Amino acid sequence: MKLMQQALLIVLSVCVTGCTPVSPWQRGKLASQQMALDPYPMQNTFQGHIYNSREAAMGGNSAGGGGCGCN
Amino acid sequence: MAVTKNTPAKLPAGKARHSRLTNAYKYLTDRLLPRSARPKPATTTSVSTSLQALTAAALSLPGLIPTPVHAAEEEASLLYGYYEESSRNLAGVNSRFNPIVVDSLLGSSKIKLSDRVKFAFNYAQDVWSGATPIATAPLSFKGNREGGVISGATPFLQNNNVLFDRQLNPLKQDALTGQLVKDTQLVHTLSAASPEVRRQGDFKLGYEWNEVSLDVGGGISVENDYESRFGNLAGRWDLNQKLTSLNLGLSYTNSDTHAILDHDVTPYIWNTSGGYEVRNIISNNSQITKTGGNTLLQGNRQDWGTAFGVTQILNEGALLEAGVSYNRSTGYMANPYKTVETAFVDPSQTGDVLSGVAIGLLEKRPEERNQWTENLRYVQHIAGLDAAFHFDYRFFHDDWGINAHTFEADWVQPIGNNWTITPKVRYYSQDAADFYTPFMVSNQALNKNAVDANGRPIYVSANNPNNGQVYFRDADFNLIDANGRIVDENAINPVNKTVPFDGSKLPANYSSDHRLSGFGALSGGITVSKRFAKGVTLEAGAEYYTHAGSLKLGGGGEGSYADYNSYMVNAVLKVDLSSLSLSSAGSKHAEHLFHNHHGGHAPAGVMFDHMLDKSGDIMVGARYMYGTQSGNILQGSNSVSDQAIINNGCNGSPCFTTPTGMNMNMIMVDLMYAPTDSLTLMLMPQFVDMNMTTRVLDGAPSATVEQQALINHHTLHEHTTGGIGDTGMYAMVKLFDQTIHHVHGTLGLSAPTGDVDVKFRDTHRIDAGFQHYGMQLGSGTWDFKPSITYTGNIDQYSWGAQLSGTVRLEDKNKSGFAFGDIFQSTAWGSYKLLNWLSASVRGVYTVQGSIKGEFNGTFNKLGPVDYPSSYGGRYWDVGFGVNAFVPSGDLQGNSLGFEWLQPVSDDVNGYQLQREGALSATWSYAF
Repeated sequence: MKLMQQALLIVLSVCVTGCTPVSPWQRGKLASQQMALDPYPMQNTFQGHIYNSREAAMGGNSAGGGGCGCN
Repeated sequence: MAVTKNTPAKLPAGKARHSRLTNAYKYLTDRLLPRSARPKPATTTSVSTSLQALTAAALSLPGLIPTPVHAAEEEASLLYGYYEESSRNLAGVNSRFNPIVVDSLLGSSKIKLSDRVKFAFNYAQDVWSGATPIATAPLSFKGNREGGVISGATPFLQNNNVLFDRQLNPLKQDALTGQLVKDTQLVHTLSAASPEVRRQGDFKLGYEWNEVSLDVGGGISVENDYESRFGNLAGRWDLNQKLTSLNLGLSYTNSDTHAILDHDVTPYIWNTSGGYEVRNIISNNSQITKTGGNTLLQGNRQDWGTAFGVTQILNEGALLEAGVSYNRSTGYMANPYKTVETAFVDPSQTGDVLSGVAIGLLEKRPEERNQWTENLRYVQHIAGLDAAFHFDYRFFHDDWGINAHTFEADWVQPIGNNWTITPKVRYYSQDAADFYTPFMVSNQALNKNAVDANGRPIYVSANNPNNGQVYFRDADFNLIDANGRIVDENAINPVNKTVPFDGSKLPANYSSDHRLSGFGALSGGITVSKRFAKGVTLEAGAEYYTHAGSLKLGGGGEGSYADYNSYMVNAVLKVDLSSLSLSSAGSKHAEHLFHNHHGGHAPAGVMFDHMLDKSGDIMVGARYMYGTQSGNILQGSNSVSDQAIINNGCNGSPCFTTPTGMNMNMIMVDLMYAPTDSLTLMLMPQFVDMNMTTRVLDGAPSATVEQQALINHHTLHEHTTGGIGDTGMYAMVKLFDQTIHHVHGTLGLSAPTGDVDVKFRDTHRIDAGFQHYGMQLGSGTWDFKPSITYTGNIDQYSWGAQLSGTVRLEDKNKSGFAFGDIFQSTAWGSYKLLNWLSASVRGVYTVQGSIKGEFNGTFNKLGPVDYPSSYGGRYWDVGFGVNAFVPSGDLQGNSLGFEWLQPVSDDVNGYQLQREGALSATWSYAF
């Protein structure tokens, strides 16, 4: 729960200073391909798999599970 | 019959009205919203005349994009990736090993099962091969040196006699002066592995409410020595008019290690009179057993993971994601192939030079690891350039003492005509784990003489040291038994009983895995993507990566001996299925292909069965083929006994082994394009993998020690190979085209992109040489592949015939051989059972010649499969297949085919394993 609070805190603190209401019809840019959080998901899966087998830090922004004996 | 979507006349009145409203709404939103923000059809809403109100309403529907998840709703993608490391610096020793390379194939598909239910399936396959560090040691330990049967450096970990000064600095003998000088230079000890294949399949099933979605997923990853099963739950909650999304995830993974311990470095792990029991004392949470001639290490680990994230739209052109995750791992987390080189130095030595014995101990890691990750992702739209700047930062911390930082910045720049170019830079830095050590020095002797409770030295019989009998010396140096009776010394042949070192004097955990050392890594890359009409996107990416101790944040990283560079490249083909199904022209055309072209596709096992109809048409597809052999060994058409194989199977040379099973998997990508109405071009890259099991023939002749090591190497483990296969390029020309009858010819070239020099890893320092001919990934030669195809159809019936050939254009490939030419004829008939389903029956006759030439490098011939004369033959098969075509709905235009080929008669050249059958499965999408 402490971690959740931290994450919320980060976002909220940014929002306090920087968030503006964005109407649905003003979201064209946000919906463009280049603005996607992960514009190249397949490539990132491949590169992530290689990083994961060559670096000690693992996991990140999701809890997916899975594994390989490559560590 | 053409089937149209949403025919209003067929719907009840209410539904029809709803459908028209939905269409009107879709028409408007298609023009108001970007493609990725397109609403889903068929969800009730009130259509206002005000565009703003309409859009606002549209955005309250599930699946709409303002939550920043932009991937297409229904999509099929395929990635091929390649990774290669530079050679390691072995401080002047010339290594015979190739560095690590990885071939990866990823397939991913997402479909909607209903408006609110989504299903995604992913498949991944990696083939790893090459050499990797298994230990680190001072250069003077000579971990890589010439030795054994083969030339070039091989790994030496055991019983290395080493010298230290009083401060425990390693000493080496100066080649010129003969003097001992201090030398602290470290070097990795390298060992190679045979190719290993990993496969992973996973799925995700999701349900979406208006503002909440829930996913449940799971999967399995399988390697020869590792199996991992996992499940996960994820939820998303959109709030604040979808400006904010909360994500929560939970995962569980259960993994088993069952590793056959390497025996190229002999003995690979500490092997003393204590035997396996003592090995088990120093390995943790794992069991080492001797099974069927193999030393097997088994362990289990479990991982629980949770993640929580918030995505926030900051303004019209910026969004932020912040997340934290916690993972807890327990169980066996060590790498069974990594050792820690440990020098045992007896402290009772006097003088300035201490001598010791170095051995490799299996690494030992804690049984528990708690990991925390905090990550931040920020995306900023750059107005003047319509670009997006992405910045990610991640902090990782665990209770093994590792803190790691990852920074990544990407600039995604559209450059017109649907081209996008994305340069990227990434920096990573980590601290060493608390228990990381390049090597160890233990202040005790490796072995010492055992004494009893009274301090008397214990003796055992050299002839039979483990029979439980112990002996002592009396005051007159007579050998006495435990009861004090004098025994015959000559009969006993006494030697001192030795006991191994005290394991409790070693640290609790130790690892020399360079991935747990302190280092930094800097990488830069670029990705180029092009979106074509009709929803097809091609991407290509490349990245260059530098790993160096000196790049560690704050300094203090590992020495430069551990530095290396690597690069990875990848290509992605992506088909947006949802964008296609909305184009009624495209789907009608696809339907036309299925219904009118020739009454449906030919059976799945027939290649080049149809052309594209008119210029500009595109078709993408994937083809999977599986072939399996097992059971009896055939000579000609008859199965033969082991004795017959031994007598005649190896052309007069000794015959030791025979295969018991062989499986082949091949994934092909079909890319078809018609530049004119009568010409279709086709590109067909392939990805293959094979595995083979072998046994010793009953009554096999006696083998030399070296042959026996190779025989064990072949029979104790399954062999696998895999990677990119040959690449086909074809031109199909329409020769005759009528309502009923169609004839086209195909001229093709197969480029030798598949490896033909795949080797076994060394065993017992013997070069195990090339893998069998049939386990190589391609032909190695440029091949000419002509064919002529006839198809016909009336009403529900269709039929066809094809003659095809493969002619090797070269006498031999770079490895010294060429596969035999192939000629094949086939004929089939099919009947359309339903509007969307047809069934087929087919006959096939194939002739293939034997191999010409033979391997031009080290190749150990152990059985018939190693002789070129035991390849090729004459084969009859019967095929049974079904083809399905999706005539309407979101997946309209997709077709699937399956065919099983059942061998009817084999007449093989030489001695070969019987065929059991072959499966073909195809998926294609025409537009």
